[in-house]
Amino acid sequence: MSDEPFDKEEFVAYFRDEAEELLQQIDGDLLRLEEFVDSGQADPEIVNSLFRALHTIKGSSGMLGFTEVQGLAHKLENLCDLLRKERMPLSEGSVEFLFSGRDFLTDLVQAAIGQSAPPSGLNEFTGRLDQFVAIYNETSNVIEGKAPDRSEGATPVGSEPMNEAEIAAFEAEIERMLAEAAATAAPTAPATPAESAAAPSAATAKAVPARGNGESADAKKGSAQGKRSSLAQTIRVDIDRLDALLNLVGELVINRTRISDIATTLGRLMGDRALNASIGLIGPLSKDLADSAALLARTTNEIQESIMKVRMVPIGQVFDRFPRTVRDVAKARGKEVQLQISGADTDLDKTIVDEVGEPLMHLLRNCVDHGIEAPDERERQGKPRMGTISLNAYHEGNQIIIEISDDGGGINLDKVRAKAIKNGLIGTEDRLTDRELIELIFTPGFSTAEEVSDVSGRGVGMDVVKRNITKLKGIFDVDSAPGQGTRFTIKLPLTLAIIQALLVRVVDELYAIPLDSVIESQRVEMPDVRTVHGSEVITLRGQVVPLLRIADFFELGGERDPEKVMIVIVGLQGRQVGLVVDSFEGEQEIVIKPLSDVVGRIPGISGATILGNGSISLIIDVHSLVSDAYAGGKVTRAEFSGV
Amino acid sequence: MMAEQREEKKQQYSGETFQVVSFRLGGEEYGVDISQVQEIIRMVEITHVPRAPRFMEGVINLRGQLIPIIDLRTRFGMNRADHTKSTRIIVTDIGSKRVGIVVDSVSEVLNIPVENVEDAPEMVAGIGTEYIQGVGKVDTRLIILLDLSKVITSEEKQALDSVDEAAE
Repeated sequence: MSDEPFDKEEFVAYFRDEAEELLQQIDGDLLRLEEFVDSGQADPEIVNSLFRALHTIKGSSGMLGFTEVQGLAHKLENLCDLLRKERMPLSEGSVEFLFSGRDFLTDLVQAAIGQSAPPSGLNEFTGRLDQFVAIYNETSNVIEGKAPDRSEGATPVGSEPMNEAEIAAFEAEIERMLAEAAATAAPTAPATPAESAAAPSAATAKAVPARGNGESADAKKGSAQGKRSSLAQTIRVDIDRLDALLNLVGELVINRTRISDIATTLGRLMGDRALNASIGLIGPLSKDLADSAALLARTTNEIQESIMKVRMVPIGQVFDRFPRTVRDVAKARGKEVQLQISGADTDLDKTIVDEVGEPLMHLLRNCVDHGIEAPDERERQGKPRMGTISLNAYHEGNQIIIEISDDGGGINLDKVRAKAIKNGLIGTEDRLTDRELIELIFTPGFSTAEEVSDVSGRGVGMDVVKRNITKLKGIFDVDSAPGQGTRFTIKLPLTLAIIQALLVRVVDELYAIPLDSVIESQRVEMPDVRTVHGSEVITLRGQVVPLLRIADFFELGGERDPEKVMIVIVGLQGRQVGLVVDSFEGEQEIVIKPLSDVVGRIPGISGATILGNGSISLIIDVHSLVSDAYAGGKVTRAEFSGV
Repeated sequence: MMAEQREEKKQQYSGETFQVVSFRLGGEEYGVDISQVQEIIRMVEITHVPRAPRFMEGVINLRGQLIPIIDLRTRFGMNRADHTKSTRIIVTDIGSKRVGIVVDSVSEVLNIPVENVEDAPEMVAGIGTEYIQGVGKVDTRLIILLDLSKVITSEEKQALDSVDEAAE
């Protein structure tokens, strides 16, 4: 192993990416396969796609010596082969079995690349897998006229079963199959109507085609061809290399600004007639510089845009695994749910895509678990038995909006109130608006679920979701209508690397405030600044807005202007704060650079940027300032109930 | 044969030599391992980082890279000094961290044979002994050999502690 002639690490990394993609595809294929269960006949295109994916995994894991992965992939391939040759009917049991196989395969891949311990219960599973395949092969032999030498009793009892329901379904399947094989000479046995009725598919998760490429999105004829051509046009690039490239472009952007500055200054000097007379030669040179600067600016912008685009990936990459989750959760909770996905091809920066998956997954689980009612309950309310969750993504300006909505019962505000009182979050006499009640679900440890399930309801949830979204500079909002459903809205920036910022001067330093959180900036005369409980506030269109003096917050000293204040109104989730600065210094596109971890966490600062003249400007962390202004207890909550 | 032996001896010798960049701080002379020194630059404009620990002088822009600057005087509990023409920033690379340290002046590169280096005395001018690798003797000079990685890791810890205090 040690004297591999190739760079194994690189191959392993490639294998990991490839396997991840293929396992995702297998999931998609299985979900679509499940829709054919009622007909008992699989779409050969889907089975072929499954077969190819497994085959590829088998091949590459074999090359790297991951024999366990290779072995399981081979066995699953055999199972698909039975489906393909129509020796095995498509049934709920067999699809469920394939799903488990896919999960084991995922665990094995993880174990092989050293990310986790090998899965337990694998041996039992492969044992059953072998039996399954053997029995169907024999069944075919029966049909072909050979005598069966295996009775039901020969099936050894497995040790600890992995999943009761799955094993039961599987065993029922075998029994039924054996019985049918004996009774009829038909080459393939369709799923009996009795069974379908007894165990209706609890969840039908329909994934709207995620993207134009890959078979998972498009099972139509010729999809294999489509895949091949899409493969030829893409290339895997290490994200670190892209980051390095982006960093360089950042430098270029900074220098572009600098050159433009020089050109402008030079141009102004040319206006000075006395100077111009003495050094007349500079005239044409200055014009050249200005032209060249303009050209540089244009090219740089284009390069920057292209690189940003390279980093953009469709959010569908994350959405792909959701149908499976929704299906599993729905099944476990005995609910009927369909997931409708749209906007999966909406592009988003890779780093954000990587981070947004977990929070979205959590919200979806919540929708299934808490939002959608049980089928019988829905029927009583005159709703269709099957609940609908829609997941929608689209661009709006410089942001991407992701909406998750369900047509379930909505957030039960009475329950929230009761729970909050029980937890001591609010008093029995407190009167809160609906909005404020909804906000309470973001409190750590808060859950209204009556019983703790393994899906959600452990009370770690909404607060984590909110924190993760906030970390991505996103905004998270909840709407709920009793009896009609809940809608979660997430707004995320398209990229975290380059942002528009408002530059402000405080004492003798320049600070950058991200423009997306700036509502407006204005000059306010001192008499219009009032105090409430000793804190300065202003009234803006009937709304009381607390002021926060940056110089005080950062302990910079400096003198106060007795006549006026310059205020930047920043807003975050409906809360507004007026940041008091010394002067406004214009808007600029800035490249965010993190402060070294040696500096530590600085409250109120989220990073730094380098300006055109080479000087450094610190970036103000609006989120922490707004929270500070409100949580600091300077202004009481009641005064802002109008927000 | 002889030459080989001599070569061997030389290698052995150089392997047991501390090669340090020496600098002045207050009245004392210090040395840091040359392999940790990235470059030495003149004083540049330092951007103050508000509410950072006291010894954190700020950040500088070094060819597009943000480098945190530590004032070693403050770090070692000495009085702050005004920057002069001879004030330098030693840019160091410790592990993956790049940090600049402000010193009064940089002297030279010294080779100190290991036999001329003694263990750190119990207490040296208020500096915690954990930063000190040893004290090197060069003629009549005493060079305090610093273990920068320790200086920086304890800095970090202190920085985080002070942030936590501020948060309370």
